[in-house]
Amino acid sequence: MDARSRSVACTIVLALAFVCALPVQAWGLTTNKATAKPNEDGGSEVIGGLPTRLTWEGTVEEGEKVSSIHLEIPADGSFAESTTKVTALEGLSRAPVESEVSADKNTLTVSFGEPIGEGLLIRLEIYNMTLPSTGGDVVVSGTYQNQDGEQKLKDSDPPIKTIANTPLQSMVNWLDNQEWVKQWNANQFLGMFLKPQLILTSLSSLFPGWLLCLGIVIASYPFAILLGLVFALMKISRHRLVRAIAIIYINTLRGTPLFLQIYIMFFGLPMMNINIDNNVLGIIVMAINSSAYLAEIFRAGIESIPQGQYEAAASLGMGHLQTMVNIILPQTIRRVIPTVTSDFIMAFKDTSLLSSVGVMELMMFSKNLTSVTGNMTPYVTAAIFYLIVTLPLIKVVSTIEKRIAKSERGGGPRPKAKAKKAEVAVVDGQAVGAEPSLVEALSAPFKAGTSVMGGTASVR
Amino acid sequence: MFDKAKARVEARQEARRVPPALDAEVAAAQAHERDKGLTKHSFEPHEHPCVRIEHLMKTFDGETQVLTDVNLTVWPGEVVCVLGPSGSGKSTMLRCINLLETPTAGHILIEDNEITGHLGTREVNKLRQNLGMVFQSFNLFPHLSAKGNVMIGQTKVLKKSKAEAEAEALKQLEAVGLLDRADFKPAQLSGGQQQRVAIARAVAMHPDVLLFDEPTSALDPELVRGVLDVMRDLAENGGMTMIVVTHEMGFAREVADRVVFMEGGVVVEQGKPEDVFDHPQHARTAEFLGSIK
Ligand SMILES: Nc1ncnc2c1ncn2[C@@H]1O[C@H](COP(=O)(O)OP(=O)(O)OP(=O)(O)O)[C@@H](O)[C@H]1O
Ligand SMILES: [Mg+2]
Repeated sequence: MDARSRSVACTIVLALAFVCALPVQAWGLTTNKATAKPNEDGGSEVIGGLPTRLTWEGTVEEGEKVSSIHLEIPADGSFAESTTKVTALEGLSRAPVESEVSADKNTLTVSFGEPIGEGLLIRLEIYNMTLPSTGGDVVVSGTYQNQDGEQKLKDSDPPIKTIANTPLQSMVNWLDNQEWVKQWNANQFLGMFLKPQLILTSLSSLFPGWLLCLGIVIASYPFAILLGLVFALMKISRHRLVRAIAIIYINTLRGTPLFLQIYIMFFGLPMMNINIDNNVLGIIVMAINSSAYLAEIFRAGIESIPQGQYEAAASLGMGHLQTMVNIILPQTIRRVIPTVTSDFIMAFKDTSLLSSVGVMELMMFSKNLTSVTGNMTPYVTAAIFYLIVTLPLIKVVSTIEKRIAKSERGGGPRPKAKAKKAEVAVVDGQAVGAEPSLVEALSAPFKAGTSVMGGTASVR
Repeated sequence: MFDKAKARVEARQEARRVPPALDAEVAAAQAHERDKGLTKHSFEPHEHPCVRIEHLMKTFDGETQVLTDVNLTVWPGEVVCVLGPSGSGKSTMLRCINLLETPTAGHILIEDNEITGHLGTREVNKLRQNLGMVFQSFNLFPHLSAKGNVMIGQTKVLKKSKAEAEAEALKQLEAVGLLDRADFKPAQLSGGQQQRVAIARAVAMHPDVLLFDEPTSALDPELVRGVLDVMRDLAENGGMTMIVVTHEMGFAREVADRVVFMEGGVVVEQGKPEDVFDHPQHARTAEFLGSIK
């Protein structure tokens, strides 16, 4: 912003100056272009402060003879370490040039042994120079010498867009120079899937996508749980119509791909002139989809509570609602936590499908970066991002499963033959290690819930 | 489906054919006359029975007739032990009393109030507050501690304050010898301990009648003793009215005021324990008692 307004101001001042001095300004040496090559591992961007190649081209106009060119870039750019290749082209053929190049900080002077005549294109390729590390638009300016003396060069237009050199970029830069990195990348597999420099840049550029994935699934899940609970209770309702509505809702959503649901919502709603922000719509679709799976999980969970629990509550004089709220649902919640967590993992992974409709989530970012770099590392990095969330949750699931299997003992009827061993375990004051078969037997209702989830997983 | 509905209608018509329960005074006097030789219970003048079961019939799915014609009166403070072979309908009769099963026909009266046929859900819940039940499989709430199990009925149903309910819970747990296990989850208790918590849970509601359905059948022999001791204490010192379905002959002989022998959905024989055990009137009773010994 700043740089641009400054350059606009400059242009205006210069224009005014020329308008005052010379009524008609004709450029003797036209600046055709000034470009910089994206740095290595910078993706598609030119990063300031890192070595790059600057290409400057100008055409000598009619009746001119150019004896030297003096280029200037903003102060913290540098030509100090650079080497310059000078080419003069006449049409498509090279014209011989003798030249001497002297570089000094942010200026570079090329003097020609023989002045370059009209019609020739002068190309300067300046290797290993650096643009300002602050980033922003960089304009190449300067002067040239013709037969009449020193003349102003037209500023390069459009300016070179650069991005700032972050600590991350310096790390990438550092990696570039490491011997082991070079050897690592020389291996075809490692270089293609696990290029260290790209892992670093991917980590930073995929991060917003990862946050969006998490944001979508976390925002959608409370709604999914609420909807799921409502439909679960509807499905076990006494009224046939209510049951039918729930069954249709659940089966339709479970029986069609999420991908299709996303397409219908993202392309269908705009056609009805309902325009919702992409991310919000993503949250809505994910919530609706998950609610169907959660409804089944909750229903299975509620039905896995033994009849004896209802009877015990009833024998205390509890009503249906009291029984549900105080006895059945608390136990259901405990039982379904692992399956719900599994579903959460599933939903989190499924946000990737939203990339197909332009939601800027993790897959979208990694797809873009991969197509720019031609390297698979961004995908691998995306995998790392998914795993950061899913692996701990998978661990949580198995831990809770084990704990529930233990604590559910004694909730309903106990197999008589095993009771003795359990008693011994308690008497010993041990952490109720019990028999595996006993644990299995008593977590059977829960296991039933799991197998429902198994079905769920395969439908997805 | 249609058959079921038809069976239900027929059952209801059948129920109307049975003469309605008599006037409370008359019925009490008749029951007294009938029962005075059958129980060790010491009657007070003009006492009314706690539970009155008349011509109780229960059919499952319109076909399997489990209870044919059960007649039984239970007096306040009386301990009635129900014996009988498996499948004779003992549990079903017990569950009909607190309406866990809906009687097909006949009458059940609790404190002279008829509970069969016409109660709404609120009245049913009210009724169940006054009828505690202890199950064969304990049915403790696994997500609550022993104390929580005893408290929840008091706080949610009787609407007692937390502090009151807790004090009562601790008192009842102490009575069953489990004060030190108050904060244990059911899973951390032995079967015997769980059943004692279940008894405390039922007693804490201060019901008029306690129903026990084979409370020791799921227990290992060495754990039975503790549970029976708690029940004996309730009967002898608590003055609790109890209907106990059990196979524990020793307990029945020592603690019961009356022993009832059921088979095939009817009460075959009832009487004082020593009469029934030592001089059974019916061949089937003798045979059953013989097979148990
Ligand atoms: N819900 C039900 N549906 C159909 N039949 C049932 C049902 N409950 C019980 N029965 C049947 O009723 C009969 C009596 O059952 P009940 O449980 O009352 O017997 P019980 O005397 O308690 O036997 P046990 O000593 O084995 O507990 C059995 O034949 C049983 O199959
Ligand atoms: Mg039974």
